[in-house]
Amino acid sequence: MLAARLVRLVATILVVSFVTFMMVNLLPGDPINALVPPEAQNNQEFVEQLREEFGLNDPMMVRYANWLGDAVTGDLGKSVITSQPVAGEIWRRLPITAELALVAIGFSLFIAIPLGTLSAYKQGKRVDQSISAAAQVSLSIPNFVLGLLLIYVFAMRLQWLPATGWTRLTESVSGNIKSVILPALSLALAEVAVYTRVVRSDMISTLQEDYILSARAKGLKDRFILFRHALRPSSLTLITVVGLNVGALIGGTVVIETLFAIPGLGKRLLDAVFQRDFLMIQGITVFVAVVYVTINTLVDIIYMLVDPRIRKKV
Amino acid sequence: MNMTLRKRGTGMRLTAVLLAAVMVATACGSDSDDTSPSATTVATETTAAPEAPETTTAPTTEAPATTATPTTTTEAPPVGPAQGGDASVGLEAEAPGLRPWEDTCSSPCYNMMAAVFDKLFEQYADGSYGAFLAESISANDDFTVWTMNLRPDVVFHDGSELTAQTIVDMFVVHQTGAQSAGVIASSKLINVEATGDLEVTYTLSGTNAIFVANLSRAPIGMVFAPSTGADEDAVTAAANAPIGTGPFMVDSRDVDNKTVMVRNPNYWMSDSFGTQLPYLDSVTFHPIPDEGTRLSSLASGTVTAMQSLRQASIRDARDTEGLWLFEHQGNNTGGGMFNVTVAPYDDARVRKGLITMSNQAATIEALGGEGISLPTTQLFASESPFYSEAIAAAYPTHDMAAGSALVQEYIDDPDRSDGLAVGEKISVTLSCPPDPTLIAAMQVSQVLWEASGLVDVELTGFDQATHIGMAVGAADGTFIGTHDIHCWRWGSEDDPAAGMLSGFGDPFDPSGAGALNFSNWYDEEAYGYVVEATLTDDVAERAALYEKFGLIMVEAMPIYFSGGTATVIATAEGLGGLDSWEMPDGEAGIGHPSAEGRWSQAYWAAE
Repeated sequence: MLAARLVRLVATILVVSFVTFMMVNLLPGDPINALVPPEAQNNQEFVEQLREEFGLNDPMMVRYANWLGDAVTGDLGKSVITSQPVAGEIWRRLPITAELALVAIGFSLFIAIPLGTLSAYKQGKRVDQSISAAAQVSLSIPNFVLGLLLIYVFAMRLQWLPATGWTRLTESVSGNIKSVILPALSLALAEVAVYTRVVRSDMISTLQEDYILSARAKGLKDRFILFRHALRPSSLTLITVVGLNVGALIGGTVVIETLFAIPGLGKRLLDAVFQRDFLMIQGITVFVAVVYVTINTLVDIIYMLVDPRIRKKV
Repeated sequence: MNMTLRKRGTGMRLTAVLLAAVMVATACGSDSDDTSPSATTVATETTAAPEAPETTTAPTTEAPATTATPTTTTEAPPVGPAQGGDASVGLEAEAPGLRPWEDTCSSPCYNMMAAVFDKLFEQYADGSYGAFLAESISANDDFTVWTMNLRPDVVFHDGSELTAQTIVDMFVVHQTGAQSAGVIASSKLINVEATGDLEVTYTLSGTNAIFVANLSRAPIGMVFAPSTGADEDAVTAAANAPIGTGPFMVDSRDVDNKTVMVRNPNYWMSDSFGTQLPYLDSVTFHPIPDEGTRLSSLASGTVTAMQSLRQASIRDARDTEGLWLFEHQGNNTGGGMFNVTVAPYDDARVRKGLITMSNQAATIEALGGEGISLPTTQLFASESPFYSEAIAAAYPTHDMAAGSALVQEYIDDPDRSDGLAVGEKISVTLSCPPDPTLIAAMQVSQVLWEASGLVDVELTGFDQATHIGMAVGAADGTFIGTHDIHCWRWGSEDDPAAGMLSGFGDPFDPSGAGALNFSNWYDEEAYGYVVEATLTDDVAERAALYEKFGLIMVEAMPIYFSGGTATVIATAEGLGGLDSWEMPDGEAGIGHPSAEGRWSQAYWAAE
């Protein structure tokens, strides 16, 4: 079972890396244009030397094979623009994006689980309708708009939190907390809407199960039934969605990281695309793919832990 | 010829005056609103013009006027510099690295580099060049050998001493630098020799009367510890841990987040009152790419200063309370070019007809520059000594009838170059990076051109890297490009000589002499004037040559202008000194062109 999953994981990564490599090579523009100022580009000898150095004269398949050979040893090459190692850049930025994504998910779960549960419990009533309407509204607000709104309120008007920037945990815990709140909230809102609906939907089904009726018949308190007996079996879909979102958030924080000037992976990826920094694009994309596939494998394992029926089938 | 830079109190005049434009630049895009535009009123509170620099040789006795004077909408700080305090500056982009010889730099990056590195020469407020880390320079009669003396007792951040040998060792690094190798070639520099402890002799392969301009900016004018370029590992490390002689030392650098620089306790320079610089204890640079949140960061106190090259941001900053604004508008101007190798742009009637139909005031408004940017007609702003009234008069003004007549003439020509039948409309493609204001500006042109009933207009947009690459066109081994009508930004405060040489050279010359000729327009007579202008340091003579060139260019109309690019450094109330920094001789420096601040002399005004 695990071996099969590993094979699938490796195959997925190979496909992603190859497709990314192809796509990056199809981008219009020459990396040399980004690296060498126009006035230096008439120095053909110099330009040629750089082309050789970055392997730009080799056929694409040769370049891919070379890259792959290095990548399996952990060497993802060097940035064409900054000459910094790509792997180093990823490791330096990963904690930031991971923290941002995890806090965003934490915020969204913290809000969505009680709301979804309440919504299911009050199915069809005014509270349920209000929560559904609010979820609909929050889904339709782009996260950068929410980000701007949060900056206006909490940074400009109230001056409680910084408008931009990032303080690393190692630098200052309180500074880190302050710097993560607004961007994480901006990311969390849309997730809240999704998670709330998922929890509500699963919870409604669960609440119709016989064992819930039996618990009620025993006179257990509603809150106890909801959170002790109904929530766990209602969280399978939620776990799936959260798992999918972790990967998506790590690769998809581009807009929020740019808006809040956060030095994460998403912003670096965006810059790399604009700079035609092909090794950086390749490295980050493949890394995100690895994270995504790995997390989904972990989600499958968590399934087994959460639901004994699945564990028994396996 | 023997030329010496003025010293305090004596004032000798450096030849190569100033300013002006060079082509190139950064095309539109990330750095700014490219074609930005013009304005109505810009309060021009010029700082007191310093005494004109002199050269021992030249008949250039008149102080050149300047385009470089800062434009400030803020009142001067009520009291003078106070020691101490910190500044945090929001920049529009991160510096890819802090190696002058290696890293592609634009305005944000130069803010940082200028804090770490000193330049050999700097520009006075009037745009002329004066000694900074160097003490003097002189040239032989044909400007092929330059002898420079360095300032004594200057040490790098690592404690090593600045000597003539340092400059020689830097030259070794320069020869392989991604940025410096091209400049060495274009400046004709072939040898650097230490001819004394502090005396350096530069040998050029041919006449270059404005060589000092090359020593006044990156990549070869900024002085770094040669050990940082010694080998591959050192070069890699130097991107984030540079070593210069400048007022600040890099304390920590978290790329894309913040670069903290602290006071260099051994900095060599003092102000006119003998106070050692810098005034600030530290300066921290934060890249904040989003224009709106950068201003919000300043307004909310997250940072204490910010830069912007966008007209709309200047407008918004003006509406924000509690800020000091240091605005500038020099030679930098928006506009564009026609690729004259492509039909129908290969016909001057089409080029001139389209630009005559265009409306610069409407374009400026679309770019958000109304009341901010000034209209432009040439590569030099009206304060530049190279500005020409004749060119200004010859540049087309908005006239639909006259523009349509020119295009109609082309359409009715049986030999029209696009191969279409007589009477058929022409088709043109206009391209700018996909910035909302640039798109709005393109739409202004589209509406006007299509209103003539003679033109079909297609608008396209590519990211900045692609946009530039299309115009440069080096990927295919030529420099012709694949563009049509292309947004571009023109002009700078640097001396125009070098930029114009490659900007208007023959694009088909196999030596690459026209590598920067993005429009591919080449006129032998006009180019002759540009070449001639590099052989003399006489400002008036050079101005006359550039005027002759410019008049030919206006007739041919390979490039066009859509209004000056205003820039701003906005600060929290109390943080000043950006427009009043001084050269070592006590004269006023150039200020903050392109929103490049000299943070060494920034200070918090005392309460």
